[in-house]
Amino acid sequence: MGAQLAAAAGGLDFAPAQRLTVIGLCALTAFVSHRALAVFNDGVRPFLLDFVQGRTRRGATGAVSFGLSAGFVFGLGAPMALSSGVLNPWLVFLPTDVLGILAPRKWLAPVLGGAWGAVVVFGLKGANDAAHRLPVDFLTAMQQMSTPILFLFTLFPVLAVCKQFGRARGAVAGAVELVLVVLTMKLWPKVFAGSLAMAAGVLMLIGFAVARDLRERRDGATTDQDAGNETGVDDPMASLFSASAARLRQHLPLFMALGAGVCLLSQTHIFGGGEATSFLIAQGQYAEAAQVDFYRAFGFLPLIATTALASGAYGIAGFTVVYPLGYLLPNPWLAVVCGALVFTVEVLALSGIGRVLGRLPSVRDSSERLRSAIGDTLQLAVLFGSLLAAQTMGGGLGLLIVGGLYLLNEAMGRVVVRMAAGPAAVLAGGVLLNVLYWLDLFTPLTS
Amino acid sequence: MTKILTGGVGKSEVVGAVTGLGLPGVEIVVSSDMDAAVLLRAGRADYFLGTCHTGAGASLGVLVGLLGAAACHTFGRSVPSGAQIEALLDEGKRVFGFAVDQIDAVAPALVRALAARTL
Repeated sequence: MGAQLAAAAGGLDFAPAQRLTVIGLCALTAFVSHRALAVFNDGVRPFLLDFVQGRTRRGATGAVSFGLSAGFVFGLGAPMALSSGVLNPWLVFLPTDVLGILAPRKWLAPVLGGAWGAVVVFGLKGANDAAHRLPVDFLTAMQQMSTPILFLFTLFPVLAVCKQFGRARGAVAGAVELVLVVLTMKLWPKVFAGSLAMAAGVLMLIGFAVARDLRERRDGATTDQDAGNETGVDDPMASLFSASAARLRQHLPLFMALGAGVCLLSQTHIFGGGEATSFLIAQGQYAEAAQVDFYRAFGFLPLIATTALASGAYGIAGFTVVYPLGYLLPNPWLAVVCGALVFTVEVLALSGIGRVLGRLPSVRDSSERLRSAIGDTLQLAVLFGSLLAAQTMGGGLGLLIVGGLYLLNEAMGRVVVRMAAGPAAVLAGGVLLNVLYWLDLFTPLTS
Repeated sequence: MTKILTGGVGKSEVVGAVTGLGLPGVEIVVSSDMDAAVLLRAGRADYFLGTCHTGAGASLGVLVGLLGAAACHTFGRSVPSGAQIEALLDEGKRVFGFAVDQIDAVAPALVRALAARTL
């Protein structure tokens, strides 16, 4: 695994067609963000309603977008791209969100977006090469992150089941996943060990949730309180939702282009959509990456649907199902066609999906639990991976510096987002160790 | 009795961070953005505390659109002072968003301020 990853980390050397795809798509996403039709950051979307309705200015909305995105670009997107050699949406799409909203002229948005795409495909390679030539190679050390991320991520459905449906079902889900991981390792050693387990876990969670909602609907059929809410009191929600859905439908051709672009980028295999996927794509495990991102999508679909319906702005990657589709498709033309079709269906179905979600509170709850569980597993995995990387690059001194920076951040009230603190500490620690090397105060470990 | 609803990725954690405080006059219940929007509009709940990774838009979900930005405030990842909280409550803010990694600092402070107002 290590050797394959190391080979892949040189993979930031993109082919011309791949570069063109990234630059073109960045121009498009910035344009879409400029029109407030779609943004990648789910947190920015609700603020776009005020912007669309003219109650806030471009500058203020841009500042919100920057404030919400910067940490994820430098803390999550950039370190992950540098260590895996594969691009990710935080690095590619968050800056185009910001640039698009900030661009004062319509034509300037795609220019700035395209420029960012160029920075990514050309600049990252330079930074990567430079870092690998340093005496203390902290990027190679960061590849230590992949094993903890891949294996702990496998458990996210178990945590969600446990939190939503209690200890007993959580324990069952945990046992089922463990058995499946062991079986997969034994029977199909070439397949990513967690793929089957994750599938089972997510299906259990959704099964429990749908069962609970159906049971409660049946029990509540006599009082019909929920149904009353939906038709009567909910009217403002229904009218806001249908206005938003209508706004998105008006721009369907643009969304078809967006879907085509994101699916095409996924098909080039230089891009991983989820938190764990970059490492799988780097190893060429496309089927496993597709599975992981497909199950992950369940955690985000309700959030993306409801924020889109409440704001009139969609997600850059839609319901993110174009990621797994792209990884699996055999050629770029098919990716363009399928991506456009998927976005068409998504945008047209949005109203209906909102109505269905309104009737399934447990399913919406599950999606929040899934996202929360993704955060919990990644937090431990990224922290542990960061410490592994620290040990690889600097032994005890590395652990002291990286662990110390992490703890210091905690003590200072988390200046850096907790998830990003580990990787940021590894980067800072790596630079520091190189400085110490030049001062003749540190001898790099030979592995 | 002031009824507070929670939502977002840290909705159970917010309830957990507050329940142990034994504050009189407040009831805090796990909910979701869509349900909370209905209950707040109908006057069947008073406040909403939402959480997400950035403490911004996703923590509030559909509430910004349905209750209007004037009723909503997001702390982001910052920890507000008591005076800030009082000022926001005086302005009539009813929906608050904050970051999931700042729950221990923000949720008790907010709910203490709400509990103090019920006396």
